Amino acid sequence: MSVMITGLSTRGGIEVLKKVTTAVTLTAGLALSVSANAEELRLLTWGGYAPQEVIDQFEKETGIEVKVTLSNNEDMISKLRATRGAGFDLAQPSQDRVASAQQEFRIYKPMDMSKIDSKPYIQSMLKSTQSSTTVNGKAFGVPHVWGTSGIIANLPEGQDSYRYTDLCSSDYAGSVSYRLKRPTLIAFAFDLGEDPFAAYNDVEKYTQIMGKVEEKLIACKSNVKTYWSGSDNLLNLLRSGEVTLAMGWDAGGWKLGDEQENIRYVAPESGALGWIDTFVLPARGQNDEAAYKWINFVNQPEIAAKITASAGQFTASAEAAKFVDEKLSKKYQASFDQAALDNIKWYPPVPAGLEAIEGRVLDRIKAAQ
Amino acid sequence: MNAFSSSKASGKKLALFLLLTPFALHLFFLILLPHLEILNISLRERVSYGIYKFSLMNYEAFFTEPLYWRTFLRTAVMSILTTAITLIVAFPVAWYIAKVVRGRTKGLLFLACLIPFWVSELVRTYGWMILLRETGVISNLLQWAGLAVGPVEMLYNDATVMLGLVYTSMLFMVVPLVSTLDGMDDSLVEAAYDLGGNGWNALREVVIPYAMPGIVSGCIVVFMLSLGNYLTPILLGGKDSLWFTDQIFTQFITRFNWEQGAAFGVLLLILSSLIVWLGLKLSRQSFSETMGR
Amino acid sequence: MTSDIDLSCTDLNKNFGSYQAVDNVSFQIPRGSFFSILGPSGCGKTTLLRMIAGFLEPESGGITIKGDSMLGIPPNKRPVNMVFQHLALFPMMSVADNIGYGLRRRKMKASEIKKKVADALERVGLPDVGDRAISQLSGGQKQRIAIARCLVLEPDVLLLDEPLGALDLKLREHMKVELKKLQQAFGTTFIYITHDQSEAMVMSDQVAVMNNGRFEQVGTPQELYYQPDTPFVAGFVGESNHFSGQVVGRNGDVVEVKTASGQVFHSIERIDTNLAAGDEVELFVRPEMIHLSFEPENKPENALEGEVANILFDGGNSRLLIREATTGAELQVVQPQTTQFRDVKAGDRLYLSWAASQSHIFRARGQSQTPALMQTVEE
Repeated sequence: MSVMITGLSTRGGIEVLKKVTTAVTLTAGLALSVSANAEELRLLTWGGYAPQEVIDQFEKETGIEVKVTLSNNEDMISKLRATRGAGFDLAQPSQDRVASAQQEFRIYKPMDMSKIDSKPYIQSMLKSTQSSTTVNGKAFGVPHVWGTSGIIANLPEGQDSYRYTDLCSSDYAGSVSYRLKRPTLIAFAFDLGEDPFAAYNDVEKYTQIMGKVEEKLIACKSNVKTYWSGSDNLLNLLRSGEVTLAMGWDAGGWKLGDEQENIRYVAPESGALGWIDTFVLPARGQNDEAAYKWINFVNQPEIAAKITASAGQFTASAEAAKFVDEKLSKKYQASFDQAALDNIKWYPPVPAGLEAIEGRVLDRIKAAQ
Repeated sequence: MNAFSSSKASGKKLALFLLLTPFALHLFFLILLPHLEILNISLRERVSYGIYKFSLMNYEAFFTEPLYWRTFLRTAVMSILTTAITLIVAFPVAWYIAKVVRGRTKGLLFLACLIPFWVSELVRTYGWMILLRETGVISNLLQWAGLAVGPVEMLYNDATVMLGLVYTSMLFMVVPLVSTLDGMDDSLVEAAYDLGGNGWNALREVVIPYAMPGIVSGCIVVFMLSLGNYLTPILLGGKDSLWFTDQIFTQFITRFNWEQGAAFGVLLLILSSLIVWLGLKLSRQSFSETMGR
Repeated sequence: MTSDIDLSCTDLNKNFGSYQAVDNVSFQIPRGSFFSILGPSGCGKTTLLRMIAGFLEPESGGITIKGDSMLGIPPNKRPVNMVFQHLALFPMMSVADNIGYGLRRRKMKASEIKKKVADALERVGLPDVGDRAISQLSGGQKQRIAIARCLVLEPDVLLLDEPLGALDLKLREHMKVELKKLQQAFGTTFIYITHDQSEAMVMSDQVAVMNNGRFEQVGTPQELYYQPDTPFVAGFVGESNHFSGQVVGRNGDVVEVKTASGQVFHSIERIDTNLAAGDEVELFVRPEMIHLSFEPENKPENALEGEVANILFDGGNSRLLIREATTGAELQVVQPQTTQFRDVKAGDRLYLSWAASQSHIFRARGQSQTPALMQTVEE
């Protein structure tokens, strides 16, 4: 089924499938840690981040076999939490989810920066990722792939720019979709003139902002066709025209743009939400050397470009742009002029406890009739 | 002689012990242990990073937060409805397979009930979505036939969820029904007619009481499967689909609130067992009798 | 008695595809009689019974009960009830509920049902089993409950589909007597189908012998035994020694028959009075009709000579298996209960004889039907 195949090659594609397996593994305990072969790298990553071509090349150069497990943010944390950081040698959670998970569950080990070849990196991104993943003075992550969430529109005569709150406009009643997850709450908060990131450490203020968002989302719930649950799900809805305006990932928008001219990915006026997926070392990983080798290997510009081609997302490798497919670069430029690029809201690390506040908001929105 | 017979007896004991060991191990490590761990987790409250204390807070939350118990109630009611509909749909099918057709056709019909299980639940659900969506097969067919003016959206409502659940559950109702009905002597129905009964009271007084163990075991399985289903209600139900397993999943995976999720899990186990127990009481069946057949 | 006809069937036919299961059957059953239909399996007796019960509709012909046509009337509306081969007692109901089932269908008051059920249990001699489950009953008790369940409805006709088949021999013998007594006590017309001739003979007032969808003969057990109308009846009812041959002459109503190996027999013709020289015939002699002696008899009408091959000891029913001297064929002969024959042993030479009137002669049918049960002497 095409639905599934496209799902596998995109960020968060097989979220639904993963949910099920996670639920199963969780209940089963998964306390059995399989001893890793010295010449094996067990990689916990997103769909598209480790294309076969790159794996083959890595194996050929180093002799290390790469075993890939596809996952998503919550799933990665849950898996590592269940095993207290065992079972994998390298994982790729988003940078804002590293510090709190580390504080709460101690599932990672610090990154030895001396083993990272820092030259090919976009330096600002490397620095910000290091600082946002620092716990007790030790950095836990380095950046790998980054991207944004914004608006994907499937409209013949679309506007030049959109706001997140356009998702509540009666113009698109019944043909709107977004995820019922925290990025949507954050996006609406910005559009309502608030700065949720600034309120991250102020529980009262943050609760108040979320209250405002909740009100808005409940009020326009009737606009929503369905909440999408995985990118394949979203792409299908947009492709068929059942949904004309959605909040989604840039790569998905660009991919659909290849198929249908009408479909565009737009950075909203209040700013696209920027995320960076990192490399981190699970606390009980057994082959750190191989992990460092992989990190340095995939950051070579040519390799990074291959990953961009596979995932549809850009990487933290500065020189990679030169090797990236021209079509993708053009779409990237169409979506992001310099102002839009500067306006990207990068997720700061999520303090623990925030999810509980958001969770209650999301519950109430889901339950509202 | 004596020594021989006693060694033979102990040999038998050993054989029994060896035979039971894998089962006991399975029971302990894969069923009992995880559940005890879940129970343990559900009874604690996070104080700060990595520090927990004993608390019933998570159970309190279920009863004090209307969203949670309402979601459970909704899930239970929809599962019971699903079970009832599945029974009504499956009974004639089972009757047809057990009593009307013979030989090859019987096997083929059984196979037809089995075919949906050759693909994963995800694919099956996507299949329904392709059929029922606004731009889907049925919507287009209706428009082509002139029965509908615009596109018809048949996804994302409770009826669709029910449809998906019934479809998924059919086999689990048909199999126990066929096996009990197969064992029923056709002359029982004839006797009911012969003694002055009509179709309706032959069904009510003879066939249904006879098939009761099959009906009850089918209903238990279907009810539990529906209650524990995750994909179908979420994918087919859309934005308003509230399903209790989704709550558990959300607590475990997206909220990292294992404590709350574990409490929900324990509650699901207790409450669903309670419903099954009530169902058995009402139908005057005993669990061991039903499952023993 | 003949004026009170409970069941009358006229020219009944039933096909299954090209197979004629019931072929032009007509009969009448007087009120209160025990009527058996006897035949080998596949003879169409079950089909006939199911047509009377209403589970099958005849292709043509009529069924009337007490003068009312039953055609097109469903089984639940007919004044007929049936005891099924495996009894078909409802396993999930108590004994009392089983018996009350038909009464409840008649919307009878609960108190009245209770009374009738108790009464029925009393009459079948099981007054205390009302609250028991069916599975707690013995085989014989089940039989009686199945019959009570039907009789409580006071049907005009009770149909019984080989209900004794599943019982062991001892119980079966006992139940035969029991059934006959029950029938007499209730005075209901019973139609009993069976392949066991002894069941039919012991219980029935009238027996119909059925073969290939047709009635061969209807009569009392005695008539069937002593005056069979067809070779099939002669062979199927009771045991017979069988010979085939050709008519060579006649003397009044005594026909002279010669077998292929040259033996000559004499028999009185009874059914077919036109036998002439050259006609192919079949001859039956019952084992008890053959007279045995150690010396040759003086001018018997029929005589054979042979030696004892085997002794089939069965108390009063003991038989001798005698190997005939000229052909080597085996004949069954009842062992006389006299001191002279008590010590007979294998190898003894014996002389066999019988009167012409003690054998039955029939014109041979195109393809002779020889039931497996009968003793055949092949030349």
